Amino acid sequence: MMARLPSLLLFVVLLAGWEAWCRIGGLSALVLPPPSAVLATLWSEIATGRLWPHLAMTAAEMALGLGIGAVVGLGVGILLAEFPALSRLLRPYVLASQLVPKLALGPLFIIWFGFGMTPTVVITALICFFPLMENTLTGISEVDGSRRELFRMLGAGRFQTLLRLKLPAALPVIMAGLRVAVVLALVGAVVGEFIGGRIGLGASIIAAQSVMDSSLIFALFIVITALGMLLYEAVRLIERRVLHRFSKG
Amino acid sequence: MQKSRQKGSPPMSIDLAKTDFVTIERASYRYSATGPAVVDAIDWTIPRGEIHCLLGRSGCGKTTLLKLAAGLLIPSEGAIRIGGEALAGPSPRAGFVFQAPTLLDWLSALDNVLLPVSLKRRPTIADKDAALDLLERVGLADFAMRRPAELSGGQQSRVAVARALVGNPDLLLLDEPFAALDALTREELQDDLLRLCALNGTTALFVTHDIGEAVYLADTVAVMEVGRVTHVRRIELARPRHRDMRYAPGFTAACRALRDAMDGAVAVNRRPAA
Repeated sequence: MMARLPSLLLFVVLLAGWEAWCRIGGLSALVLPPPSAVLATLWSEIATGRLWPHLAMTAAEMALGLGIGAVVGLGVGILLAEFPALSRLLRPYVLASQLVPKLALGPLFIIWFGFGMTPTVVITALICFFPLMENTLTGISEVDGSRRELFRMLGAGRFQTLLRLKLPAALPVIMAGLRVAVVLALVGAVVGEFIGGRIGLGASIIAAQSVMDSSLIFALFIVITALGMLLYEAVRLIERRVLHRFSKG
Repeated sequence: MQKSRQKGSPPMSIDLAKTDFVTIERASYRYSATGPAVVDAIDWTIPRGEIHCLLGRSGCGKTTLLKLAAGLLIPSEGAIRIGGEALAGPSPRAGFVFQAPTLLDWLSALDNVLLPVSLKRRPTIADKDAALDLLERVGLADFAMRRPAELSGGQQSRVAVARALVGNPDLLLLDEPFAALDALTREELQDDLLRLCALNGTTALFVTHDIGEAVYLADTVAVMEVGRVTHVRRIELARPRHRDMRYAPGFTAACRALRDAMDGAVAVNRRPAA
């Protein structure tokens, strides 16, 4: 707690400066609402219960997109690491698929999947896929040669070597990929909703913008940031649990 | 303890000692079909229960020869036989100790020792007892539950040796396993290794660049240079070996002769270039 005190103090100072600037500078609340107004809006959104369906929707899209993207990314990463020929064949396509700006695919996905949750989940999954695949591939191919030889010497099969050596050894790198994916999942979900959402925090931002309610936009920023931090910390917790079991003691 | 004492007295090994166990028949190895031979038509036999050392500088092909004997590499020409059978892949009868301890960071010392067993089946209580017994013999009885990161370099090497011995292999192959350790720890580990090999009459092929280590461990030392065995020396020191022998005249003489042989081999090889 003592270690966090300075950063907490800085936060209070920044908030006070912001509030002061809005009041003394005579800035229009439309351009930059004071923190007090933002907090009031946030509280009313929470109190009236208007926030919850949006929060639930974004959280669900994020979780689904992250889950699907992470599982597929892990699977493809394992396949590409285990079969170098497949990797040589598919790498250019995988790379190309990642270089296409996925948000630009949004309008197409709306044609394919309709409005609602699906296009956003697909976009989020596509975004989360890459860091998991890349890190799995890197982690597995970095397992050192003499440990592989040890497993060969011990007569371990391919699947056994993967399960008992390569995946545990690659786990720290894979978990780092997952952490990156969590951050990207939030961006994917919110921005995906900009394009095709009716419900969700991103969709609410667009709705607030259309009525020029900038304090609501700021209130939504706070909710989105809090959601992101919560998920990030959750992944960190899982990571610590898993790594405690599988890494250097 | 009763069981281990029985293991400690190999009654038949004297009779078996004269049979050749590992036979290397004109084995050559090239990394590419047209490249130079890293191991060049080597003939070698190791009688059952003997310890042989391959001595040579870095890059002389000794590690490659060891990997051929393990079945990790298949010779380009010639054959390797273990107990009469030609090798076609990693030998289940051999235990291998690598240059680095190559322990799995996420397993305890005990689970690392049990790895060869647990890859084949669920370890039984008897397997665990055998592994604990081995750990005790290398002086790590109190460290069974520690992870590799909590062990010193010497302790990690001890775990690696115990792991190689857990299935009672007929053949032990060691690739400079103690090279990274300090001199005192290295000597302790050499004594541990000799005791463990004597226990079950294990045949061993030990690769090293340390002349003293080769003489202390071996029944026969082979000097390797550019893929060939250039010198062979029988070490006529009594067994069991002990620390004082390192200072005996016979020991020093053997070291001196091997050193000369290594220098001579270099001189012979450099002569055409000069």
